[in-house]
Amino acid sequence: MSYRVLVKEDSSGSNIYAWPVFLILVEEMPEAVFIVQYDDYQGFLVKKRHPSTSRLDEETLNLLHVAHEEGDEELRLHDLDNRRYVSFKSREYPGWLVGYVLREETDFGPNRELYRGMSRLMLALMQVSPEGVDLNSIIRHERTLPELTKEQRLAKIYFTPSSALLLERLQEQGVESARALNLWLSNQVQTDNINIKEVVRPLLESGVVHVEIIEGKAEMVFLLRDIFGYRAPPVESLLNAKAYMPHISDTYEGYVKDFFSPAPPAKGYNPTIPIDEPDSPIMEDRERVFEVIHDNFNYIVLESLRDRPKSTNMISEETALPKDIVSDVLGTLESERIAVHFEDEKMWALVTDPTIKTFMPEYILPTIARRVSEKKLDRDAARRYLQLLMETWSEKND
Amino acid sequence: MIRGIYILGQDGNMVYSKEYATTDSKSALIEFVVSLAEFLSSVDLEQKTESMGLSLSRIFYTVHNPFTFVFVADKADDAAQIEERMGQIVEIFLKDFARLAEANQPLDGFEAKVDEIAVTMVKVAILGYAGVGKTTTLHLLRGETLPLIHDPTIGVSIKKLPEEVQNANIVLWDLAGQSRFSILWAKMIANAQVVIIVTDSTLENVLRSKKLVSLVKEEVPNAKVIGIANKQDLPTALTPERVGQILGVTTFELVAIDISYRDRLIQIIRKAILEGKDESKAS
Ligand SMILES: Nc1nc2c(ncn2[C@@H]2O[C@H](COP(=O)(O)OP(=O)(O)OP(=O)(O)O)[C@@H](O)[C@H]2O)c(=O)[nH]1
Ligand SMILES: [Mg+2]
Repeated sequence: MSYRVLVKEDSSGSNIYAWPVFLILVEEMPEAVFIVQYDDYQGFLVKKRHPSTSRLDEETLNLLHVAHEEGDEELRLHDLDNRRYVSFKSREYPGWLVGYVLREETDFGPNRELYRGMSRLMLALMQVSPEGVDLNSIIRHERTLPELTKEQRLAKIYFTPSSALLLERLQEQGVESARALNLWLSNQVQTDNINIKEVVRPLLESGVVHVEIIEGKAEMVFLLRDIFGYRAPPVESLLNAKAYMPHISDTYEGYVKDFFSPAPPAKGYNPTIPIDEPDSPIMEDRERVFEVIHDNFNYIVLESLRDRPKSTNMISEETALPKDIVSDVLGTLESERIAVHFEDEKMWALVTDPTIKTFMPEYILPTIARRVSEKKLDRDAARRYLQLLMETWSEKND
Repeated sequence: MIRGIYILGQDGNMVYSKEYATTDSKSALIEFVVSLAEFLSSVDLEQKTESMGLSLSRIFYTVHNPFTFVFVADKADDAAQIEERMGQIVEIFLKDFARLAEANQPLDGFEAKVDEIAVTMVKVAILGYAGVGKTTTLHLLRGETLPLIHDPTIGVSIKKLPEEVQNANIVLWDLAGQSRFSILWAKMIANAQVVIIVTDSTLENVLRSKKLVSLVKEEVPNAKVIGIANKQDLPTALTPERVGQILGVTTFELVAIDISYRDRLIQIIRKAILEGKDESKAS
């Protein structure tokens, strides 16, 4: 694969930025791409194809589908009748499959991550604006949707209701056996068919909990990190605006000040005020923060704006998202008081930066001590818990 | 086809909801429907039906105070047809069930009426082990040339039946019987209104097929299940009565390679579809 760096000037002419462009050679592009949706009534529906003349027969579709039923891997390589196919199916998009027909000369091995990323992008776009999905441009420019970031994994917990509930329980207990959690949860949601593994998964994948069998006894779930979502001031973006975009910098600073420290008597945003009432405005705002970070497209645009103000075009080029989606997202972010718009300059900037951080749940230590003394918690489990907390928080503090 | 029907009351509470096929983002959809109803209470649609595209669906909505009706269909559907069916359901609701809904009473009998109008697609799944004659049965039903060699089905083969029963398109799901495809069975019979379990009428095969009956009862408890005692032309064939006894479901004889069985088979399936509807009404 050839690779080069393009250097371009942005519209204001005051700044130079560079980004890499992968030039994909024709023989490395798949011969055809298909987006398929499985429907309980109509079976396999090919929703998109490129090129438009390509066909995928029912048997091949079936074989791609069956392979995914057999195992958990998202991406699979198939050799059928001396042709190679790649298929992608993900738990994030149930019922959807992306299929590629490879060229004979294509070397697939080194491109696994590329195919994964392109497939993710195609399916994410299919959910929001199926008409606008341009398969050709995605494979030609190797546009991808990145894997969920750490922040997004944390946000995801709040969009799996049982997982969020379980987190609340762990914030009270610190450590608990998987069995006890299962029982407690069944009671809370009034059903007995809870798959505790699935409920714990988002907590495990984000590093919030750790699961371990203690001394061959019970499987225990430990709370290692607690989560805090808030709006941070967009420091880096402000600094860069000051340095490179003097024409908007003052107005920009004014917007940020209005939000965080307005002239009295108005009170600015202060995330450290403790929240006691369940429906306090800060609580609702925290949910917004999680929502924005959880949504793939919102998050990509947010991330792109974190370093400095940009135009819609620049964001679209940098993120590989179609311009209409970027515009939509910017509109949403504006109404959430996350982005602001400089109309004359055609620039967008962050006014608040939704952020999710983790912290050590030290508040739990007295509870653990009490539970041990009341013989409600095994001494070994408590000791192991302390050890785990120390291992997690002693070296790098995130 | 209509995928979901939602009727909301005065304060946005869900008075009635029914979904016909598993949509992936169900909770997001319901959330959307609730906020749509909230929004609609602030505009006057003058009892007209409007619609909008949402991802791959089309959402139809109308307000007849105090109720908001929201129907979800596929984008590819004929909008006029959906609106017509929606109109019928709205009319029935307003005439016979609105008062019950306002009094928080159960809407007995509404579901059956809704099904009658909304279900435009009937899924019939054909299940059975390899080589028993499922694909042959499918060809017989469709009036096609009958295959004389066993060309194993890969995964599933989905075909429409040209006949119409009660305004409904019949989709036949001919599932592959080879054991490597058995992982598909449970998922692929989802939402079937009728499941046909085909046996080749040998003792060994019929005994094994009991497992399929349990699978169906477990996965689609509301489906109508019938047995087929195929290959009655062969000397090893058990009688259909015997096959039915072993399987524990009503069973019919068949020689799928004999075209003279076609009309009989069509009647059997028609009846099964109608009975399936009656049974789900009763439940
Ligand atoms: N003698 C006789 N042969 C039959 C009859 N019905 C089907 N066959 C034959 O049985 C063989 C298998 O039939 P298929 O319909 O392909 O079997 P299937 O159940 O679809 O098999 P899979 O797709 O592998 O699950 C073919 O050779 C048919 O001609 C019948 O009633 N009598
Ligand atoms: Mg077959």
